[in-house]
Amino acid sequence: MTTATGGHDHGHIHPPAPQVEEISDYSVLEIALRELAIEHGLFTAEEHLHFTEWAEKIGPASGSRLVAKAWLDPEFKKLCLTDANAASKAVGVDWLDPTGAGTPSDYTHFVVLEDTPTLHHVIVCTLCSCYPRPMLGNSPYWYRSTNYRRRLVRWPRPVLSEFGLIVPPEVEVRVEDSNQKCRFMVMPMRPEGTDGWTEDQLAEIVTRDCMIGVASPKPGRTADKHPIHKARHPVGHEPKPMGVAE
Amino acid sequence: MSSSSKNTPVCRFKVGDRVRIKDQSWLFYSRVQLYARGVEGTIARLNYTDLVAEDETFNVEGEIEQHYIVQFRQQDLWPEYAFPNDTLQSEYPDRWLEPLNNSQA
Amino acid sequence: MSAASDTGHDRIALLEAIRSQGKEWGVLAPKWGCNDPDPPWKFPLAGTFEALSESGALPSLERRHAEDELGDSLYKDVPPPESYLLTLAHTMIERGLLAEGELQQKMQAVRSRLEEE
Repeated sequence: MTTATGGHDHGHIHPPAPQVEEISDYSVLEIALRELAIEHGLFTAEEHLHFTEWAEKIGPASGSRLVAKAWLDPEFKKLCLTDANAASKAVGVDWLDPTGAGTPSDYTHFVVLEDTPTLHHVIVCTLCSCYPRPMLGNSPYWYRSTNYRRRLVRWPRPVLSEFGLIVPPEVEVRVEDSNQKCRFMVMPMRPEGTDGWTEDQLAEIVTRDCMIGVASPKPGRTADKHPIHKARHPVGHEPKPMGVAE
Repeated sequence: MSSSSKNTPVCRFKVGDRVRIKDQSWLFYSRVQLYARGVEGTIARLNYTDLVAEDETFNVEGEIEQHYIVQFRQQDLWPEYAFPNDTLQSEYPDRWLEPLNNSQA
Repeated sequence: MSAASDTGHDRIALLEAIRSQGKEWGVLAPKWGCNDPDPPWKFPLAGTFEALSESGALPSLERRHAEDELGDSLYKDVPPPESYLLTLAHTMIERGLLAEGELQQKMQAVRSRLEEE
């Protein structure tokens, strides 16, 4: 709409982003399950709301900040490695009260695994998909998949290469299978080209995938992307590992 | 050998000890991976003392045990594994470990 | 009308009907030009997982094992998070936490309510 002088009126509102306008059976199913569960006394509406809000709130920002702080402060780095629960409090995460419900579902023993020039860590939970949710948020779908969980322990380097990460043969790849009450996070190495960076700038390149160990931080890399590669060792039909008794 | 009261958790190993993961039968479910059964590794870390997960789930009055991180060479786990330096670590409670020629059991 | 499969899990007709429509978020979002990577029900679903586990009705480890088994078999052509939702419904029905018939009725009631809004 033009004004009398011929200029443009900049008061227009941008149209909202498109939404899905149809009601899928999936969205109906989610609500129906929840309402029936509440009707049957399996949980209360308040409990459900509490956990839903927590799931919405968490994300990898606390983890990114922990790593960035450690990169800048050797004393803080030492704390991360010797008492990760205490270090977490510095970025606002209390492992003894991660849901605010007084009953942590995410176990309380947090351990930070430090990468070095000769050691690269990557995390998995073959049992289910345990994940340090208070620090990294909700786990990605691929982390929960049987495809990742069964293959990473045995073929870590091919799986990492599917994520675009090639680890030189002289660097030790260490898989951490979190099968009990510890929750792990990788502290990757600070990359070249970040001298003089602020904590915010450093945190921006420490993405979730870097803290799981399937990516390395780099200047300019501020998002996780997942190219789809066909697995060279698909799940199933593999021979028994050596440790299994006959 | 070692028994525990409520005050002294079972803790037979220290960092650096060589151990083998037992291959024992279990009642309902176990968090000890099939791939690790019978495999030798090294104690990498002492984590926490706690009830063993199997006991906790079924509310059995179990003993508090030391939980450890054990490190394996990947070449000891998988027959075709090509990189000699690579390792895998996982967590085990004391009862799932047996000593291998350590100076102290 | 459930047919036995070779996995030891019977198919559940109500869930098969949902699955066969193929209306996953990965299909709906591009159709409507929506750029959100996840459906909005992803978070309340996470709330349900957590609440069921905390109350003891369905502990997370058991739910995840069922999710793996069903996700690798009956629902292997369904992507996440729809696979998580279907396997949850399947597991709850199998364990008698709710019945297929009442779920069908509830879904009808919920849909009517949503369509009126």
